Parts: sequence; structure tokens; C-alpha cells
Amino acid sequence: MNNIPVYSGPIIAATLAPLLGFYTLMVTHHVSRISKPLEQLIHSYGHWIPGSLGSGPLGSTGSYSGKEALALLVWLVSWAVFHSLWRKQDLSVEAWLPIFSGGLVIVSLGFIHPVVDPVIGLIRDMLGV
Amino acid sequence: MIEQHGTLSKTLVRTQAALALFVLLWLGGLDFFFPSHFSLQAGVHGLSTISAMVAATFLTHRAYHLIRGVHINMRSLRYWALAATVLNFFGAVSGNWVYMRYRGEGGAKDWILAHAPSFHNVMMEFKEFVSLFPFPLMLAVTFVLFYYGDALATRRDLLSFVGLLMLIAWLFLLLGFVSGLTLAKLHFL
Repeated sequence: MNNIPVYSGPIIAATLAPLLGFYTLMVTHHVSRISKPLEQLIHSYGHWIPGSLGSGPLGSTGSYSGKEALALLVWLVSWAVFHSLWRKQDLSVEAWLPIFSGGLVIVSLGFIHPVVDPVIGLIRDMLGV
Repeated sequence: MIEQHGTLSKTLVRTQAALALFVLLWLGGLDFFFPSHFSLQAGVHGLSTISAMVAATFLTHRAYHLIRGVHINMRSLRYWALAATVLNFFGAVSGNWVYMRYRGEGGAKDWILAHAPSFHNVMMEFKEFVSLFPFPLMLAVTFVLFYYGDALATRRDLLSFVGLLMLIAWLFLLLGFVSGLTLAKLHFL
């Protein structure tokens, strides 16, 4: 076990990256509900995942696979990037903690349809989609 | 005499934990014998999620020690965190397998939408995403424990953060577990 100098950068990178992945899940989920072509586009990113295509009693995971694939991509790429940028930096854990916790609460609410759908409706009206 | 009591209580604690794990595993394990063509998927998902839940719950005890700054065996913690991460990974992968059948022809989704639509439109739409949260959070915990090694003990703020991460991962696991059980009670695969 290497006793390397303890910088906080790597732990912040390791926790920011999954948060960005969770937000990717949320955004792709709501985008996929706008129209069938958008749902198919998101689904296409997950075609490589076993079980993403198919019908009948066994079914398939459908566009959920595309949301997972995009979230996986954002999570792992952002982790690698932030880790390499911050591995020798000491960032404030005290400042990060409320952002991280608040971010988790907001993204969780983003999956509760009765709570988030009015907000999504407003955003769609503003963007005209 | 005191030594004997210490040994007895340790034996009882371990026996209780082993019995609880064994009996709890029936919740998922008996799915293998349910009258369904998809009992294998249900059984594998049940066993992996219950095991993940038990491992994560065990870790929460260590989490409070980290938050309080109490010295604990970091080597043991690293391997427990790794085990919890692997079990969460199996839970997420088997969850995808079960989700296929959930959406399949004549599956639970069709039945729930016809009879109790809110359980799909609200609960399942929430559950299918937050159930993905524990694995990356637990992987972050495991990564941090292995990356910093024993030097982590020199940073109280980082130790507390790791403890908090364990509790957060456990909470999302519990949310997914309870909503999954509720949906399975409504309609088995």
C-alpha cells in the first residue's frame, strides 16, 4: 500500500464524476420522453449492451440501455479527466460537501415525475420543444 | 468468568448475523422455486441485491466510526468495501436482466400499468435510475480506500467524507431494494 501525500483532489474527482453520470441519466431520460426519434437516438447508444434490443416475453431494456451507456461514458471519462487534473491539488472538502449532497437531492427529485414534470414542462415551453 | 462471557457474546453475535443473513437470503432464494419461466432471473437478482444490502448495512457501522474519527482496521474496511462494490455491480447487472422481463410481453409493467399505473409511472421510473447510484458511489469509496491507503487516516475530513459516502450509497440501495420488493409483491416476473 502506497502512503502517498494525501491531497483531496482525487476524492472530489471520484465523487463529482458519478454525480455527472447521474445527471446524464436524468437529462437523457427526460429528453427521451420528448419524441420517438429522440428516444431512438438515445437507445442507439446502448445497442451494444446485451438485452438492449428484442421483444416477446423476454423483452429488452430498450432506451434505458442508451441512458446507461451515456451515463457510463460521462462518469468514466470525467473521472479520468478530473483525477488527472486534481490528483496533486488540495480542494476544499468542506465546500464540496454541500454541493455534492445538494446535487444528489436535486438529481433524485429529477426522477420523481409528479415533482419534476411541471419543471420539465416549463423548460420545454421555454425551448419550444 | 468475564473472558468466558466475552467469548459467548462474540459467538452469539456471529451466530445471529449468520442466521439473519441465511434467513434473509430466502427472500430472494425462494424465487428460484416460484412457478414462472423467469424464476432464474428473479432468484439471481434477489440474492445479489439482498447480499449487497447486507454488506452495505454492515459497512454503515464502520461509517459511523470513520465519521467520529475512531481508529478502525483500514485493511478490513478496504476489503469489505470491495466486496460491497462487487455485490452492487451484480445487483445492477442482474437488475438489467430482470428489467428486460419486466418490460416484456405479458410482464409486470403491462399488468401494473393496467391495474395500478402510479406504481410504474412514479415508483418504477424512480427506482430504475436510483438503483444505479450505489455501485459508482461504493466504487468511489473503494477506490479512495485503496488509493490513499493507510495515509487516509491522517485526514479527518476525508475519513468523514468516506463515511458519509457509505451512508449515502446505503440509502440509495435501500430505496431501490424496498421499491423493488414492492413492485415484485404487486406482480412477480
